[in-house]
Amino acid sequence: MDKVIKLTKIFLKNSFSNMDARMGISTKSKSKIIVYGLLFLYFAGLIIFLGYNLLDGLIAIHQETIFVGMILFMIFGLGIIQTIFSSINILYFTKDSEYLLPLPLKPYQIILARTNVMLIAEYVIIFLIGFIPLVMYGILTGAGIVYYLTMILAVILVPILPVLLISMLVMFIMSFAKLTKNRNRFQLFATLLVLAIIIALSISTSGMKQDLTNEEMAQMVVQANGMIELVKGYVPTVDYLMEALTTNSLFTAIVEVLKTLGITIVGFILYMLIAQKIYFKGLVGNLFGGGASNTNKEINQKEYRNSKLYKSYVGKEFKNMARNPVFLMQCLIPAVLIPIIMVVVVYAGLNSDGMGLEQITQMVQQTPTNTFFIACIILGVIQFFTMFIYISITAISRDGENAVFMKYIPVSLYKQYLYKIIPNIIMNIVTIIITLGMAEYLLNLPVITLIELFIVATIMGILQSIAMIIVDLKRPKLNWDSEYAVAKQNLNLVFPVLLSIVNIVILVGFVYLLKDINVYVGVGILGILYIVATVITNKYLYNKQYELADKII
Amino acid sequence: MIEIKNVSKSYVKGKKSVDDLNLEIKNGEIFGFLGPNGAGKTTTIRMITGILNMDEGDILIDGKSIKKEPLAAKKNFGFVPDSPDMFLKLKGIEYLMFMADVYDVPQNKRKEKIEELTKKFEIYNQLNNQIQSYSHGMRQKIVICGALLSEPKNWILDEPMTGLDPKSSYDLKEMMREHAKSGKTVFFSTHILEVAEKLCDRVGIINKGKLVFVGTFEEMKQKFKENASLEDLFLEITEK
Repeated sequence: MDKVIKLTKIFLKNSFSNMDARMGISTKSKSKIIVYGLLFLYFAGLIIFLGYNLLDGLIAIHQETIFVGMILFMIFGLGIIQTIFSSINILYFTKDSEYLLPLPLKPYQIILARTNVMLIAEYVIIFLIGFIPLVMYGILTGAGIVYYLTMILAVILVPILPVLLISMLVMFIMSFAKLTKNRNRFQLFATLLVLAIIIALSISTSGMKQDLTNEEMAQMVVQANGMIELVKGYVPTVDYLMEALTTNSLFTAIVEVLKTLGITIVGFILYMLIAQKIYFKGLVGNLFGGGASNTNKEINQKEYRNSKLYKSYVGKEFKNMARNPVFLMQCLIPAVLIPIIMVVVVYAGLNSDGMGLEQITQMVQQTPTNTFFIACIILGVIQFFTMFIYISITAISRDGENAVFMKYIPVSLYKQYLYKIIPNIIMNIVTIIITLGMAEYLLNLPVITLIELFIVATIMGILQSIAMIIVDLKRPKLNWDSEYAVAKQNLNLVFPVLLSIVNIVILVGFVYLLKDINVYVGVGILGILYIVATVITNKYLYNKQYELADKII
Repeated sequence: MIEIKNVSKSYVKGKKSVDDLNLEIKNGEIFGFLGPNGAGKTTTIRMITGILNMDEGDILIDGKSIKKEPLAAKKNFGFVPDSPDMFLKLKGIEYLMFMADVYDVPQNKRKEKIEELTKKFEIYNQLNNQIQSYSHGMRQKIVICGALLSEPKNWILDEPMTGLDPKSSYDLKEMMREHAKSGKTVFFSTHILEVAEKLCDRVGIINKGKLVFVGTFEEMKQKFKENASLEDLFLEITEK
């Protein structure tokens, strides 16, 4: 067991090495801890706010127990989604596997340590989305000590089964299918599956509204209850824990927790037995599987055509992202997916109100839309959407140890930085066009306003892209063992959120200060402000191009 | 020609990783850079190629300072880094074309040069595959092809033989000889003393950041023990 704990620690240290270094004791690190602490508080606050509203409504109609079911299912569902992405990388594509196999370790020790890493990653998120709401439930319903003890056990137990199930599924596929040599296809499949789930969820939840009457709430509760009833037949642990958390009887709570524990232990034993049989077969096949086959495919003459350096460089960046499912999901897809999800949500939301788009458009046409206020809301929405495009913030880190390439080729560093942020600007423009298209459809804005908004939003995107590559240059994460470490376990990803918060606060401030200003003048002033900020940031990037590359070694 | 003039570099204050290094690699010369692990070889190569800034001194590549005219200096060399795991998502041909664009290889020369190099290293048939599907040796070969595509006058190679099969290793050594014969420069680091002895016109041995020997193997033997093996000589120089 001692070896399992040591291995787990090493795996964790390896994947969070940069984070460890940052969490040192220097004052600089302390300030970072404060920033992350504040962000944590921000998200925790958001979850408390949303959770409170929902729970308050449910308590009013004495249906608060549904809240517990929803949270438990959310933990379970998140466990599945997160493990789909992490398991393939953690189990099969971390570089350390090759060095691990010759060591005198027992198979179960390696499997357990790998599983621990997946579970720990799970618990970090669950603390936010599971633990906090369940504590809130306890406080608002005046629950006793038994509830809190059961709740802690629930939060620990619920994510275990999804992690074991998905890992086992992945091991099963990897052990016999030739997918080992085709990690990309596997990950792409997983990506598409998750996208489908996200879109389905957004459609199914899009009918929810903020101010519900008791009747509407009751109707929703019946639907939610029906859904939980339907699903819990397949997920007995959630069913038992829901019962344990909502019962008044201590005896029932103990029995239900013991049932959950029993199922989890049986699941764990089965997992270990099966994993020991199939995991290493797939792992060895993946590590030492044969080399590339001769394709003998003639090279198309077009391939030899030379192109401008910027085209070639930007093309290389796009190819690197598009051919890598993790980067594809984190960098390129959000530009299209997030606005589309919003379209679906808004459309379904309108329909659920018994209102067609035509009525809405008619209603909108009767009120003035071509105002500075509306323009700022649109810019805020665009800012919110583009926050999820992680191209610039990972521009250097994505190259990993190869990033030194930038420093020995005869191309200026500044130019290379620009080539690296062009994909971010392009994807921002995609988001801007989709969002403005939606705005135009709903609000029927004059063309001049649309053009002005497009220009200002594009400048905002350029500013954001330059600022984020500076962050990545200052804090690059180059020593990663799987793409997942760059696109997910990267603390730099909080910076786009921070910048967006600042930007949205600025927009709110402008709306407050320049309430009655003409829309063209107001947006024009904003545009000038962003141009000035962009020029200053760009000047900084240019002047400091060499110093900024100091950490790339 | 590569000139290293009074170059020093410290990672930690008070401890020099490279200490007042002076070296001149002439045209038409194959120069082997030897030294134990942590001696300062990679740091030196990183300073020559502009990856690391030096604290003191200067490095000139064909008269161009890597400090003052980095772009001009970088155009004068082709570099093969120690790790060949580069641009794994690109196909071999895409990587080579990208390198050709970076180094402005003329359109009419690209096809001829790519075919010549990749056929010599027997990876031509793999060019339509992504580099991630290549073995370690094949990755090393494609990186070497990328570095030599623009026919740079100076070759700088960090442990180039690692992972190469005997035939490719032989071919690369032959290419290095031909390159030097045509009046150009080859600078490479290696741990394989026999390769250095057979291939190099001169060698430099670095130890604890200081250059402890520069010259031919004959000079090394004369200076130290005449009949000692190469390995013994190396150990004597670096463990003094």
